[in-house]
Amino acid sequence: MTQITLHHITKSYDGQNAALHDINLTIADGETVSVVGPSGCGKSTLLKIVAGLEFPEQGQIFYNGHDVTEIKPQARGVGMVFQDYALYPTRRGEGNLAYFFEVHQRSAAEEQARIKATADLMGVDFAWLLGRTPDTLSGGQQQRVAIARCIVRDPNLFLMDEPIVNLDAKLRERTRMEIKKLLRQFAITTLYVTHDQQEAIFMGDRIAVMRRGRIEQIGTFDELYYTPANLFVATFIGAPPISVLPATLENGQLTLANTTWPLPAELGDRLPVGAVRVGVRPEGWRLDAPTGAALTVRHIERIPTQQAAFIHGTLAGSAVTALAPLDYPTVHTLAVAPLWENALFFAAEGEAILHTPGTPDLF
Amino acid sequence: MAAITVKQLTKRYGDKLAVDHIDFALREGEFLAMVGPSGCGKTTSLRMIAGLEPVTAGEIRFGERLVNDIRPRARNVAMVFQDYAVFPHLTVFENIAYGLRARGAPRSVIAERVPAAAKTFQIDPLLGRKPRQLSGGERQRVALARAYVRDAEVYLYDEPLSNLDAQLRHAAREDILALHQQKGRPSLYVTHDQSEAMALGDRIAVMRAGRIEQLDTGSALYERPYNLFVAQFIGTPGINLFDVRLRVEGEQIWADATVFRLRLPDEVQIKVRAQVGQTVKLGIRPEDFHVPKRAPFPVSDENTVHGIVSVIEPAATGCAAYLSTVREPSQDFAATFKLRLPATYLGKEIPLAVDTRRVHLFDPATEQSLLTR
Repeated sequence: MTQITLHHITKSYDGQNAALHDINLTIADGETVSVVGPSGCGKSTLLKIVAGLEFPEQGQIFYNGHDVTEIKPQARGVGMVFQDYALYPTRRGEGNLAYFFEVHQRSAAEEQARIKATADLMGVDFAWLLGRTPDTLSGGQQQRVAIARCIVRDPNLFLMDEPIVNLDAKLRERTRMEIKKLLRQFAITTLYVTHDQQEAIFMGDRIAVMRRGRIEQIGTFDELYYTPANLFVATFIGAPPISVLPATLENGQLTLANTTWPLPAELGDRLPVGAVRVGVRPEGWRLDAPTGAALTVRHIERIPTQQAAFIHGTLAGSAVTALAPLDYPTVHTLAVAPLWENALFFAAEGEAILHTPGTPDLF
Repeated sequence: MAAITVKQLTKRYGDKLAVDHIDFALREGEFLAMVGPSGCGKTTSLRMIAGLEPVTAGEIRFGERLVNDIRPRARNVAMVFQDYAVFPHLTVFENIAYGLRARGAPRSVIAERVPAAAKTFQIDPLLGRKPRQLSGGERQRVALARAYVRDAEVYLYDEPLSNLDAQLRHAAREDILALHQQKGRPSLYVTHDQSEAMALGDRIAVMRAGRIEQLDTGSALYERPYNLFVAQFIGTPGINLFDVRLRVEGEQIWADATVFRLRLPDEVQIKVRAQVGQTVKLGIRPEDFHVPKRAPFPVSDENTVHGIVSVIEPAATGCAAYLSTVREPSQDFAATFKLRLPATYLGKEIPLAVDTRRVHLFDPATEQSLLTR
């Protein structure tokens, strides 16, 4: 039962460039927050500060309202899972789980009871892993032992740093589901760091998007996707990424390339006159639109496993990706128009957002 | 005639067969992706074709020419590696020019081609930099440009995108396809990621334990897998598998999973008459579950499964939902939808209609498909 609060955390390694700049974040009890961003954005530093492996220059960290900023990592009750598993190589699975109880001189009865309870919760085949040394286990199995080793200690908080990055694609898909189920089951407050946006979306109840030491936005996937805080978040979330095209607004009409469309009145009234940029996600295009602009097709990526295709091309010099049915014909050009109820609008320069569509109402 | 022919190609390390008598042919201009779990022999196969790994047995031919004993450089292949293999002490320009210089290309050709290649991959402003001043994505584009300036007979790729971020990977796929379309030469691309193989390959070879399990177009692998391994390997989320007993009731064959049962369509029934009474594996692809109101086929209790939603994962094409069956023994399965299921359905029970025309059935002992071949 732990709520984590980061209050105005600032950290710099060289005294000038901030590795973390005024980070404020609250993780609710039992919640999983994933932290995602390009390499060097400060996400691993953030994790180390929460763990107590690094200390902030300014700001405080609270566990359940208690200031732990100066508390040593061992006393924080944190379970950490790393990308390289870091199991004790000479110990079997069970020995890895038992280590904590030996070091802390807990009773053998407690040790056995906790290991048994954890193994039961980890699932049917976990007992088999307890009898094996790490070198005889696959990456995914080692990672399960590493997670169990955290759970057995009954931690206040889970910290995971790219725990499945070293697994191959198929194993990663299975392991992330196992981790997600375990986090649900134990309802342990978790900070999950990854560079992979899809993994962040999957694991996190909320997702914090970081760049250059700052949290650009934190929210559920829908909030980040439909109401991004700025151009960076809009382009970072969503794959294939959003297309951003320069356009001009005048008299409630939008001109993009050589095509002019009337905007819905409530949208036209809200936007400034002059140069803007319009952002359209792959599913936000109307294909073969009667009043469309010409999209020059570079390549049609057909994905039978998603029963869909992506049309990659250029529209008036800007790269565009549009979602299409799997059997869409192979063409060299087609007429497309943005679906205005899904479109985003950005200022002509910089990263400011002028309009977001908000979460759509499907039912 | 095929551009590259591989016959009974074998690689043995001690008593381990890394590549086990594989056969395949690459057509002129074809992009072939080789995919499989780690240790399946895909990279070893590629390295034998490149000449970086001696062949234990079998033949590799470029056109008519047997190249088994020809040194890598004389094979005229261009290769792109996972770790980019750019030279740290050389500038971007010199890295791109390296293959041309090594083959004695005239200075005028280098002066013309290197900047053109750099422009194609949008690294022309970086020509004077050293690799350590570049990001991972930029380094990979240097490696691609280095392959691009060559006039190689064959282009080989060894997991070139696995060190890139998700966002960069999408752009880099486009770069690789651009390179391939420009060159029009046969290309072999090795990856452990089936979605990458599906996005890039004209055809895909699925490997396991040194053997090619199936070589086909992406849609054929997906729709008509020969065996359980291919069915499971291709597609994400993976195919859902249920142990079912085939039972006859009212002159119809049903697949009975105890937690649900489905009446099989006539065209499937014809193929599994001999298995009636037996337990087989039923495979249902995630997108063959439909929200009943939007199913493109009639829905009844003969094709409906109930599940409790545990996770909803958004995707550009809609969403994936992870569910568990309602009745015991509870089993997890995944369904994908063209719409975004709202988060309000988390923890709720929903009915899903199965497109039974698209199900798969496998023999549990041989793991072969009962419906294909």
